[in-house]
Amino acid sequence: MGMTITEKIMARNSGRDHVVPGELVWTDVHTVMTMDYLGKTCFDKFRSLGKTEVFNKDRVICVSDHLVPPPNQKFATMLNEWREVVKQHDITNFYDLGRQGIAHQIMVEQGHVLPGTISIGTDSHANTYGAVGAVGNAIGVTDAAVAMATGKAWFRIPKTVKFHVTGKWQPWVMAKDLSLHIMGMMNWNGHLLYKSIEFTGPAIESLSMAGRMTLCNMTVDLGAKNGIIAPDAITQRYLKDRAIGDWDMIASDEDAEYDQVYTIDISDLGPTVAMPGKLDDTVPVEKLIGTKFNKAFVGTCTNGRLEDIATIAKILRGKQVHRDVNMILVPASQTVYLQALREGYIETLIEAGVAVDTPSCAACAGIHTGVAGDGDIVLSAGNRNMTGRMGSKKAEIYLTSPSVVAASALTAVVTDPRTLSV
Amino acid sequence: MIKGKCWVADDYVMAYDIIIQEYWTSAIDPEENSKWVMAGVKEEFNKENAFKDQGFTFIVAAHNFAGGGKSIEHVITGLMGSGIQAVFATSFARLQFRNAINYGLPFVTCDDIDKGCETGDELEYNPETGIINNITKGTSFQSVPAAPFVAEVGAAGGLMNYVREKIAKGEPIE
Repeated sequence: MGMTITEKIMARNSGRDHVVPGELVWTDVHTVMTMDYLGKTCFDKFRSLGKTEVFNKDRVICVSDHLVPPPNQKFATMLNEWREVVKQHDITNFYDLGRQGIAHQIMVEQGHVLPGTISIGTDSHANTYGAVGAVGNAIGVTDAAVAMATGKAWFRIPKTVKFHVTGKWQPWVMAKDLSLHIMGMMNWNGHLLYKSIEFTGPAIESLSMAGRMTLCNMTVDLGAKNGIIAPDAITQRYLKDRAIGDWDMIASDEDAEYDQVYTIDISDLGPTVAMPGKLDDTVPVEKLIGTKFNKAFVGTCTNGRLEDIATIAKILRGKQVHRDVNMILVPASQTVYLQALREGYIETLIEAGVAVDTPSCAACAGIHTGVAGDGDIVLSAGNRNMTGRMGSKKAEIYLTSPSVVAASALTAVVTDPRTLSV
Repeated sequence: MIKGKCWVADDYVMAYDIIIQEYWTSAIDPEENSKWVMAGVKEEFNKENAFKDQGFTFIVAAHNFAGGGKSIEHVITGLMGSGIQAVFATSFARLQFRNAINYGLPFVTCDDIDKGCETGDELEYNPETGIINNITKGTSFQSVPAAPFVAEVGAAGGLMNYVREKIAKGEPIE
């Protein structure tokens, strides 16, 4: 019996020829990521295991993203302690304020995740790494401390569910719409809990790395263990000048066994929106046309990449954000920010009345820049919409793609980008 | 054998509500995290030590307990600090299921348990057989017993102890 790509990666990194779902293995991890507000605890726990040196100084990746730049004294002090502990352990790759970005963007963009390997991170959206054909897994500080000491993590081999996606993408429809569509389609039935999700098919192969990252990113919100797309020519091109280390074109065997296979034709898929409160309560944008909102947000590890910024710049070029809307863009990393600046997107957006903030997780987790207050109705290109996620419990969050956010920002009501003359 | 009274969730319980936003950046500490544990789940628990003071030993819940996608361990330490010794649910969100294993707090999968208990019922749980008795109602449930690795980590008092011992003895981790 053949194996799926995730099974093959788990087997390869645990020194086995073959694994089956349900088996428990200790695997080697390629990289361990931790970030500002949990990082010090990881190092403290790591030392309590009786070790002083991490398993590999080049492969423990430290990022400042949730708290930078510090908006208050508490965060400033936490960041100082964080910097001290990273310095003390002589960590090679430290992406601190000035070189910062959202950890998951940094991990992929800086070549710290490789096809065929396993990388873990102390933030739930570590599933993003599957975009390049790696197993990306979110873990707590305990697992991070153990991996920092031993270079290993334990895993139960998950069953794999395949989403085979065919058809041609409509204009302005993005990977985010497919993510939200799958949320609605699965209706939180628990079927994807602990599972590995593999995306295949022509509509996936035609996606850029940015789209693949969005898709894999949100598999954690489906309850899955990881989301993965096998490496191909697009991956190869993306990793050419980034990958740190060797990798190969790993793929599922033809006779691999899947727990379930779903086929989706995206030709009919339009822009999609998740209603406030629940991710799986999704509707086609047409159903919400005319719905008022007052805050627009584009950023996060889900939709803060160059292509997302290019899309909103294309929509807003030469136009003005409606005076009743506050729109914020937070690029996912300094690299993305600089590229967007060089391409002229930032200038276009500032001229249109968009506020641009320095890279961070921003308001996504409700603890930094641009949080929501009482009565706010937010149209967000982020990843979670539960009550209170972006700040006030008296705010509402609609989740959608960057193109819907930008098109709607022009009118202050939900607008279908396909109806614009751009 | 663990014995005590249970709290039954009447709705889907999210990790976000077990530990609310203002405490995500606190230290991971059972005493500290238990003060405001469950603050977002019910208004009556949104007071210092409100959940803890109820003296529950078990939580009974339905699907996807501790879901919503937060990997912070405060969720587990908060529950442990408030006296919770096992959580029974029809399913668990994986991030916190994993954290629970790493802390040796039994997150026990059991079909129909959510329909067979009321808050305040006296329960008895045998970790070896997986049998949960509802003493108040005179009913019994068979849960999924812990996998050998999970039991081993639990017996060591959590993954940190488990790995620390192996490192101290120079044993391989495999």
